[in-house]
Amino acid sequence: MTVMEKLSQAIPLANPWINNWRNEGKNVLGYFCTYIPEEIIYAADILPVRVRARTCSAGDTPMGDAYMTPTACSFTRCCLELANQNQYDFLDGIVSCNSCDQIRRLYDNIRFKAPFPYHYIIGVPGCVSDTTHEWFKHEISKFKESLEKNFKVSISDEKLKKAIRVYNKSRELLKEIYNLRKHDNPPITGTEMLNIISAGMSMPRDQFNYLLSQQLQELKEKEGISDYRARIMIVGSMLDDPEYLKVIEDLGGLVVVDSQCLGTRYFWDLIDENKNPMDAIGERYLSKIACPRMAGKYPERVDFMMKLIKEFNVDGVIFQRIKFCILWWAEIFMLRNKLKDEGIPFLELEREYVLSGAGAMKTRVEAFMEILEANK
Amino acid sequence: MVNEFIQTADFKFIKNNLSILVQSLLKLLQSCEIMDKELLDKYTKLGRGNWGKDLAIWKTMYKGFLGMAKSERGFLNPGKSEELNPFIEMLLNAFLEIPKARKEGIPVIMHPFNYEPELFFAMNLAPLMQEILSVGLAFVHMNEPYIDYINNIGYGDNPTICNAQRPLISMAMQKAAPIPDLLFYLSTPCNSLAASYQVFQGLTGIPSYNIDVPYWAYEEASEYYDEKTMQYMINQSKNFITWLENNTKHKFEEQKFQQTMEITNEAREYTLEFNELLKAVPCPMPSITGFGVFLTMVARGGSPEAVKATKWFRDTAAENVKKGIGAVPDEKIRIAWPYTHVFFDINLLNWIEQTFNAVVVMDLLGHYKVLPQDTSTIENCFKSLALGTLDASMVGKCRGPLEYYLNYLIDYVKDYKIDCVIMPMHFACKHVYTMARIASEAIREETGIPTLIFGVDSYDSREVTSEELKSKISDFLTHIVL
Repeated sequence: MTVMEKLSQAIPLANPWINNWRNEGKNVLGYFCTYIPEEIIYAADILPVRVRARTCSAGDTPMGDAYMTPTACSFTRCCLELANQNQYDFLDGIVSCNSCDQIRRLYDNIRFKAPFPYHYIIGVPGCVSDTTHEWFKHEISKFKESLEKNFKVSISDEKLKKAIRVYNKSRELLKEIYNLRKHDNPPITGTEMLNIISAGMSMPRDQFNYLLSQQLQELKEKEGISDYRARIMIVGSMLDDPEYLKVIEDLGGLVVVDSQCLGTRYFWDLIDENKNPMDAIGERYLSKIACPRMAGKYPERVDFMMKLIKEFNVDGVIFQRIKFCILWWAEIFMLRNKLKDEGIPFLELEREYVLSGAGAMKTRVEAFMEILEANK
Repeated sequence: MVNEFIQTADFKFIKNNLSILVQSLLKLLQSCEIMDKELLDKYTKLGRGNWGKDLAIWKTMYKGFLGMAKSERGFLNPGKSEELNPFIEMLLNAFLEIPKARKEGIPVIMHPFNYEPELFFAMNLAPLMQEILSVGLAFVHMNEPYIDYINNIGYGDNPTICNAQRPLISMAMQKAAPIPDLLFYLSTPCNSLAASYQVFQGLTGIPSYNIDVPYWAYEEASEYYDEKTMQYMINQSKNFITWLENNTKHKFEEQKFQQTMEITNEAREYTLEFNELLKAVPCPMPSITGFGVFLTMVARGGSPEAVKATKWFRDTAAENVKKGIGAVPDEKIRIAWPYTHVFFDINLLNWIEQTFNAVVVMDLLGHYKVLPQDTSTIENCFKSLALGTLDASMVGKCRGPLEYYLNYLIDYVKDYKIDCVIMPMHFACKHVYTMARIASEAIREETGIPTLIFGVDSYDSREVTSEELKSKISDFLTHIVL
């Protein structure tokens, strides 16, 4: 079995890695956003697993439609649907935050209609300043206390430091793999990369690091991909469906970099290992490459996007936006003007959480590829 | 930057649509009866002159409100007064203040509907509440050309981004939006608001500032806030003041701030009494009145005019209670409306009153719940300022977990002897719409009364029409409530 195949085993919601963890009598918590500090959960010897809902059938969310309403994003509707079907029964609880209106109300609807033994929501400030940093540190301290009380564990500074080291190691390894994608012939597709990141969010992190190191070594020795038509950057929110990227890559658009929740915005920034661990966690999570929920950080996100476009020699950008997502619509509205000014071709795709309408998408991506080829 | 923006204005679109607006207003005027000619003449004269290119719509809205002020009944004249009442006069002055500030070199600061302007008054700045535009234009269906334009440009759509703010972006792209000197907004109550204000900032380059309203109460025993939350808000307010000082030549003066907060709290006293008076059966004030109180506080809170207006609302309600006068004759149904009004249909509430002898006792914005506070020290004044944000209409009930909204609503239903709940859910309002189903279940379980939930775009008459709305409400009131 290749490393990639081993990692792929961790992608389904309930997977062997989680089962083994649970068989050891240990707890698993589901979380919803990149602003949730996994390190604190991991330091409590609890496995943090990113809540996903890829097994949800598109358009088959009666519970989600009724309670989240049909005009909420399909990710939240799918999550409520699966929670109601007990498909998250491997979780001992959920941790959320006020990342957006729909996610925070998903948390409420789950508590009321499909509760878990443990729920917690972290208040993440909507902007970054010295004042909000202090507030956020207090917020995550309360979360730490809640874990200690509810799961009868002690989260020492040493455990936190160890968790930070483990998670930083992942970030460094992922970044090394991303750096290989800067090459003219990148050794890995965007589809494979998304699978790796998804796996990392669904298995014990030290074991993920072990496999990731092996994967990195393999990739370093691998012959790169040369038969692509254009180098693509994907920008958007929660996308964990590799089939979506596969549609693009099957048409010759090699995804070489991204600015996504399950991508650079998740792992790009490290936690300072020399500081008090709770302070360092708070600083990193509030100051990391921001999601559009963070007011006033648009210039930094633009700079980040432009830097990646340049470093990864991107030919064109594909914006992917889940239908009914307020934050990303506003963000893309501003970003596309920036790309126009810079003369960088882009394509904007609206999508549902679970891939649907692939035919229409193929047509649009194919046309985009032809534009990119004509530009060369 | 701002001047450059104004100078490049293309007025074709604006002119075309202003003519539609003027025609609508003329129709309205024809059905009106002038109450106090001398006073109205005064305001007609005050509105003359060149207000500036970017204030063309603002000026037309002023004329529209002036016309509506002459109306014998309706939104702006809830007490059916024989004179131009203090509320209307206050609103007219709010419009006039912007061109006046321009002339006098006073910075204009745009702010959203969930932040009261007392700090701005304390610092001698001119506040401009942005949603006056979208609500005011909705009355005469004038949002719709702007909504069409922004749909075509590709900034959101109806169910995704709220049309309380999208017309502003549309106006800005057509150089028709009022261009303030400064922009301010909050992280709550919704993503739409924060996102659209940032887009507006991006289009205009206006200096902007944002305050985070915390999501959660720390202590379970604390209903809405604790000392840490309060201090967080106070610290942010102080940072904001520093920013205001740096971006204007205006200095913060403690004494002026204290005076302003005293004025604010006087108005809060009146609103508190007004809210209590609405418990009377029959309800002493028409359905729209609460919204007038809200508008008073959020557009002019901290001004002496707001004190006059809230006192007038309180006095009118008290007099009606004393005389046993109800807003509708033979009151049969008392409705809670825990969301915003359907702004595009100015007559909907009148229709409910007249057709069903029903009165909307509360709406989410109109039930203004900020309590008066001690203002004897500067720190207490800051606390009072913070409460104005933490407990602001919609923010207070929606910034946290669902229970805040739920408990508030159930208590209201019990305290105000409510017979049914109507929730006209704005499609793009993700944070409230996603609570509606659970709220209706809890209300039924706790109080036994029914709830009607339906989707609507409160700012656009074409998504769900007045006829469709009336049909749903009629079926509900006739077959389920009565």
